[in-house]
Amino acid sequence: MNHSSKSRREFLRNLGCVVCGGAASALIPQLRMMGTALASTSSFADYRALVCVYIAGGNDSWNLLVPYDSTRYNTYMNSRGGVYDPVNNAGGLALARPAGGNSQIVTDTFDSSQYFLHPTLVNLASVYKQNKLAFLVNVGTLVMPIDMVDYNTSSTSRPPQLFSHADQENLWHQGNTTAGSTVGWGGRCADNLQLQGANGTPIGNGPKLSLCVSISGANRFEVGSQVVPYQMSSSGLNSLRGMCNTAPCGNSTTLRDTALNALLGATYAGDFSAEYAATFKRGRDLYAMLNPGLTGTTLATTFPTTSIGDQLQVVAQMIKLSKAQNYASRQIYYVRLGGFDLHSGLFSSNPNDTNDHAGLLTQLDGALGAFWSELQAQGIQDQVTTFTASEFARTLQSNGSGSDHGWGGVQLAFGGAVNGGKLYSNGQGKISGFPNQAYGTGGNPNAFSRGQLIPGISVDQYAATMAQWMGITSSADLNAIFPNLPNFGTNNLGFV
Amino acid sequence: MKTGIRIAAGWLASVTLTAHASVHDHVFANGFQPPPDAPASADDAARFLTQATFGPTAADIARLMAIGYGEWIEEQLAKPATLSEPTVEAVVNARTAGAQTVNQQQRLNRFFWQAVYAPDQLRQRAAYALSQIFVVSDASSAINQDIVPMAHYQDLLATDAFGAYGQLLSDVTYNPTMGRYLNAYHNMKGSATTSPDENYAREVMQLFSIGLVLRNMDFSPVLVGGATVPTYDQNVITQTAKVFTGFTYMDAPTGSGPPNYTGANFYGGGLSFAGKYSPMACWGTELFPASGTGSNNMRHDVSAKSVIGGATINANQTCAQDLSDELVILAAHQNVAPFISRQLIQRFVTSNPSPAYIQRVASVFDTAGNDLGDVIRAILLDDEARNPPALVSGDAYGKLREPILRLTALWRAFNAQAPAADAYGEIKMIGSGGFQSNLGQAPLESPTVFNFYLPDYQQPGTFADNNLYSPEFEITNESTTYTAANKYYDFTANAYQGMPSPPTDRPLIDLSPLVANISNPTAVVDAINADLLYGTMSANMQAALVTMLSGTFSTGATAQEKAWSALYVTMLSPEFATQR
Repeated sequence: MNHSSKSRREFLRNLGCVVCGGAASALIPQLRMMGTALASTSSFADYRALVCVYIAGGNDSWNLLVPYDSTRYNTYMNSRGGVYDPVNNAGGLALARPAGGNSQIVTDTFDSSQYFLHPTLVNLASVYKQNKLAFLVNVGTLVMPIDMVDYNTSSTSRPPQLFSHADQENLWHQGNTTAGSTVGWGGRCADNLQLQGANGTPIGNGPKLSLCVSISGANRFEVGSQVVPYQMSSSGLNSLRGMCNTAPCGNSTTLRDTALNALLGATYAGDFSAEYAATFKRGRDLYAMLNPGLTGTTLATTFPTTSIGDQLQVVAQMIKLSKAQNYASRQIYYVRLGGFDLHSGLFSSNPNDTNDHAGLLTQLDGALGAFWSELQAQGIQDQVTTFTASEFARTLQSNGSGSDHGWGGVQLAFGGAVNGGKLYSNGQGKISGFPNQAYGTGGNPNAFSRGQLIPGISVDQYAATMAQWMGITSSADLNAIFPNLPNFGTNNLGFV
Repeated sequence: MKTGIRIAAGWLASVTLTAHASVHDHVFANGFQPPPDAPASADDAARFLTQATFGPTAADIARLMAIGYGEWIEEQLAKPATLSEPTVEAVVNARTAGAQTVNQQQRLNRFFWQAVYAPDQLRQRAAYALSQIFVVSDASSAINQDIVPMAHYQDLLATDAFGAYGQLLSDVTYNPTMGRYLNAYHNMKGSATTSPDENYAREVMQLFSIGLVLRNMDFSPVLVGGATVPTYDQNVITQTAKVFTGFTYMDAPTGSGPPNYTGANFYGGGLSFAGKYSPMACWGTELFPASGTGSNNMRHDVSAKSVIGGATINANQTCAQDLSDELVILAAHQNVAPFISRQLIQRFVTSNPSPAYIQRVASVFDTAGNDLGDVIRAILLDDEARNPPALVSGDAYGKLREPILRLTALWRAFNAQAPAADAYGEIKMIGSGGFQSNLGQAPLESPTVFNFYLPDYQQPGTFADNNLYSPEFEITNESTTYTAANKYYDFTANAYQGMPSPPTDRPLIDLSPLVANISNPTAVVDAINADLLYGTMSANMQAALVTMLSGTFSTGATAQEKAWSALYVTMLSPEFATQR
C-alpha cells in the first residue's frame, strides 16, 4: 500500500469531496503549493514556527550534556576512556570536569541534579539558565518501548537498519519506522495545518508559499502528502542571470525570458521534464513573490558567517517577512550542519580546528545564539521553537581516536514557549532517566558492548509533542501522522 | 578455494582476484558495408554517445556510424586510461615552487579537461560513475589537502573500470585516500578500552558491494514472511571491523627488524605523493610477531572473525590473507551483481530500469571474472538502452541529466577550446569553480559517502506516488535550478571564441556554426537540436527558440549574443535536462 496515496484519499475526504472522482488525480499536482482549494482565512489567531536543526553524521551528544556529580562523572569518564589529552591520552573521549562555579554547569530543576554543557555551548547554557531551553535525554528511533531483553528476543521490536546513517536519518525525518515511506512528520503536520487554514494570502495571482521551507536542500522531513518544501539557499534568493527578474527589462533579456517561460510553462509527457519544469517554474514564481520583500527585510542581529549562521539568518529573514506579509500562520523550517560522523578526530590538539566536535559545536552555538537574539529583537521568541535532530548518538567507547555509531542520545529544544531549565528523560516507557553510562559486565543492562544505548524516548514522542504545540491536537490526527505513537506511554513529553 | 574459510552453502561462487588478459584488444575486420549494428541515424548515434561519453562530438558520431556499436565499444574498452595524477602532481609542484596556493581546483581542472578531451571517453565516463559508488570526497577534512592522492584515486577508478570487480574492490580497500576517508587508515586492533573503527566495514558492505537487504538478480528484495531480509547486523559490522585494522602508509618505517624492530613507526610515512597514494601497508603477522618482543608493533587484529553469511576468517592469519578472504567473500555475495548493476544503469541510461533489464546485466556481471567492461557493454547494448519507448503521457523512461554532464555536453558539441596551459602547466577549465554548491555536484566532492543523491531517492509527487526513482532530483530544486543556470551562463554568455576580453580560466565555445546561420533561426534551432538533443526537440521548444531568435534584440546585440542566448535557454530547458 502506497502510504501517500492513502493519505491523499483521506485529504480528499476531508475536503468534502469537492473535486472527487476522476478529476481528482488531474487536480492533485495543482493542489501542491496552490492552496486555493483550502481555507484561505487562517483559523489560527497567532503565528508559530518550528525550526529543525538537523545535525548530520550522528552527533556525539553524550558530550553535549555530562553528569557533574563526581560519582556519575567518574563513570562517564571511565566509559569514554579518560579525559582527552593530546599528549597522554589521545584516545580518550571524556571532557574534563569543570571547577565549581563554571558557567557551563547547570541544574535540572526537576530533581536538582547537576550537569555541565560542552565548553563551547556558551549561548545554549545561557538560554538553559533562562529556563527557555530543555534537554531531551536518551531519545532515539523506536518501534515501541523496549529494553535489552526485548531487543534480543524479537527482531520486530527494533527499528530497521539501526546504526546506518541514511536509514536512521530517514526514520528521524519520518517520525515513525514505516519502511518505504517518502514523507516526513513536518510535511504531514503541514498537510494538517493547511486544512486548519494555516496558509496565508498570496501576492497577486502567485502561488502561496509552502508552509515548509528548507534552507538546506531536499529533506524527507518537510515532505507531506500535499506539501513539498520550498527550497532556498543560505544566501537567500539568487536572481537568474540573463533573464528578467524584475520588469521592465531590455529587449534581449525579455526575449530570453519569454522563451524560458514558454518552456517552463509547457506541458510535458515525460515525468522528468514535467517535474523539472514545475520545479524551475515554481522557483521563478516564488522569486517574484519573495524577492521584493526579502531584500527589504533587515535584521537587528549580526549572524556568524558560517554555513549554519547563514542558514539561520535566512530563516530569521523569512520568518520576519512571512509575518509581515501574512504568508502563513504556521511555518516549518529546516537547516542542517554536517560533519559530525567523527569516527576519528572527535578531539583535535589544534584549538582552532573547525572540524572537530568542539569546532562544529562552536559554529552551532554561535548560530543558535544569534538566532535567539534575533527572535527576541523581533519580539517573537515565544512563537518560534527550535529543536535539534540527529540520526543517532555515538558509542561511549572510544575506537582510539573517535567514536562509532550509537543509538539513543541527547537533543535540545529552545524557545519562549519551551518549559526549559529541565532534562526530559521519561517517556513513560521501559527505560527512563539519565542513563547509567557504564557498559559491559555490571554496567547498564540496556547498553550494548560499546556504550550504544537503547533509547527511553522515541523520536515519535519528541516530534508529537511539538506537533501538538503547532496545533495538531486530536489523537486521531496525531496517530495518523505518527502511527507508532499509540505504542508509547505518552504522546506529550511536556517540554513545550 | 583458499583454506581457512567456512562459508554458508549457497553463497560461494567461483571468483578469482587474479588479473585476466584483456579480451578487448582485437583487430577490426575492415569492410566497406556499414556494420549490421551501425546506428540507424546520426541522431541515434548521438543518443548513444550521450549515454556512453561526456557528450557527442561530430567526430565520434562519424566514427560510431562507420564501425557500429559493438566495435565502438571494443575500441573504447581497449583504450588505456588517461591519467590525471602525473599532470596534477606536476602542476602542484610547480605552483608550490612558485609560492602559489594549491587546492582542489588543480584536480578539478584536470578532471574536466579529461572529460572533454580524453579519447578514452567510455572509460572516463565509467570511472566517473564508479566515483559515485566508491565515494571519497574532499568534503572530509581528513583528505581535502591530499590533492594529488585524490587525483590518483580517480585514476585508480579509471584503470580498474573495465577489469574484474574484485580487483576494483581490493584496490579501493588498500587505497590510502579511501583509508583516510573511511578510517581504515590507522585503524587499530581492539584494546581493553577500545574497539576497531567500524566505518569502513559498514560502508564497504552497505555502499560498495551488497547493500542492506538481500536481493534477487533483478534487484527485487528477497522476502521472507513478507519482510525484507537484512544482509548483516551490528555483530557482523563489529567483527568485520577487525579485518580492516593495521593499515598505514606504505612508507611508514618498519624498523630494523627482529627482535625489537627499532625505529618502527606506524604513524610515519606519507613522505611523498607516492607514499600517500600507493597501496597501504598492513602491519600484521607478515611484518611483526603476534607475541613476544616486537609484537607491540603489530596493529592488525588476528583474532578469528565472524563475518557476513556466517563465514569465519581464521585466527592468526596474515593481514593480507584476512583482507583477501574478506574481499573474496564480499565479491561472491549474491547481492553484488544486482546491487552494482542497477546503480551503473542509473548512471548511464535510466533511473528506473525494468527488473528484466537489471537481471540481464546482473547475469553478465555474475559470469566468471565479474568483468566490468562486459557489464558496461551489456548496459549500453541492451534493448532497453537502445530502444526507448514512445514518449506518451506518464512516461518515466530515462533520467534527469546530471548537471555536470549538461556542461560537458555543451563543451564537446560546440568544440570548446581550452585555454593554453598557464605558467605552472595548468589548463584551466572551471572558471571560478563552485560546482558542488551551485550545480549540486562535483567530482569527488560529495557532502557525504552517500554521494550527491541516493539511488533510491523519489521526488515528491509523481515519482514518489508511483514508486519511481529519480536520484538526480535530490539536487534539483528551486534554488539549484537557479544556481546551476547562473553557472551555465558563465560558460555560454561569458565564454565564447571571439568575444571581447575572453576569460582565460575556462574553455571558449565555438559559436561560429550558429552565427553563420543566425539570419535563419530555424537552421540555428535545427543545429542545436542535432548537437544537444539528438533530434528529439519538441515542436513547442523549436517554436519558442525560433520566436526568440526572430525577435528584436536590444540595439547593438551581436549575432554571437543571439547564438549564446539560444544555447543558454537550451541549457536551462526541461528537454535538455532530461536524457531519454
